[in-house]
Amino acid sequence: MLSFSEEIVLLLLDETDGNFVPLPEAVFAIVMSGAALMDLALHNRIDTDLEKMTVADRTPLGDDILDDALASLGRKSATLDIVDALYDVATRAEEYRARALRRLIARGILKEENGRHLWVFRTRRYPVIDDSEQQEVRARLRQLLLTDEIPDPRDVVLVCLIDACALAGFVLSAAELDAAAARVEQLRKMDLIGQAVTKAASETEAIVKFAATTM
Amino acid sequence: MDIAQERDGDVVVVRLSGRFDSSAAPSAEDQLTAAVAGEAPRVAIDMSQLSYVSSAGLRVLLVAAKKVQQQHGKLALGGLADNVREVFAATGFDTIITIAADAAAAVAAVR
Repeated sequence: MLSFSEEIVLLLLDETDGNFVPLPEAVFAIVMSGAALMDLALHNRIDTDLEKMTVADRTPLGDDILDDALASLGRKSATLDIVDALYDVATRAEEYRARALRRLIARGILKEENGRHLWVFRTRRYPVIDDSEQQEVRARLRQLLLTDEIPDPRDVVLVCLIDACALAGFVLSAAELDAAAARVEQLRKMDLIGQAVTKAASETEAIVKFAATTM
Repeated sequence: MDIAQERDGDVVVVRLSGRFDSSAAPSAEDQLTAAVAGEAPRVAIDMSQLSYVSSAGLRVLLVAAKKVQQQHGKLALGGLADNVREVFAATGFDTIITIAADAAAAVAAVR
């Protein structure tokens, strides 16, 4: 089973050309941080309630992304503000993306292609060579979003992540997306870290847009 | 957290007491999975002695509710304290899982 960091990196890759879909770096960082934190929560390393996040167990998991994030949280107090923890881990997002890409390449899901644009600028893309994971996640999300099926905790996290990246359109058609808007809203509320990710990503995107229109 | 289980006719009544957090979650998941096993289970969870629920506790309840749905059964929770009900409302769990006023109402809801 892929970690959420791997899942979101895979979902953010355009399978037709192996490039990442456009997403502001600051939003990407929040989403990667949320992916790591929600994975830690599902492994019972951290816990949350309406007011705080608690480091419940500092035992490493043997996962270089999750253990790094856990160690980062462990350096602080055992009780944290969820948003502070999210931004704290977000500073490591670029490194986590690199690690997730290396793992996906090692699993034979992606390959790395280096090239040049206009004979000058170096380019790097990651064509998908085994899309079964992507197809499986999309099929699972479609089933979940278009029915009243009770989600499992992993499904809830995936909905939070794709919603924060505005990726629901890669899973549903425009008409389906309209019909499923209330369902997306229902599911994304179900994880407290996911709520913080959605809020922080939305605020960050608004700041990025504002900056772009006023420069 | 303590978990007790009894039968009321064809309904399995599970009583939770104490704090339902990440330290209680693994054992609670095992016990609830056993309680919801079988064809078309009818399960009422008495939460009246539960003083706290965290995200880890909510996830265990979600997994149990999903298993019950997959087996075409019924599950309801009853007797939520105000602070626990607040968590269910904030996360929308009250739109996914049937919430009854008390344990007796939860049993009636699944019968």
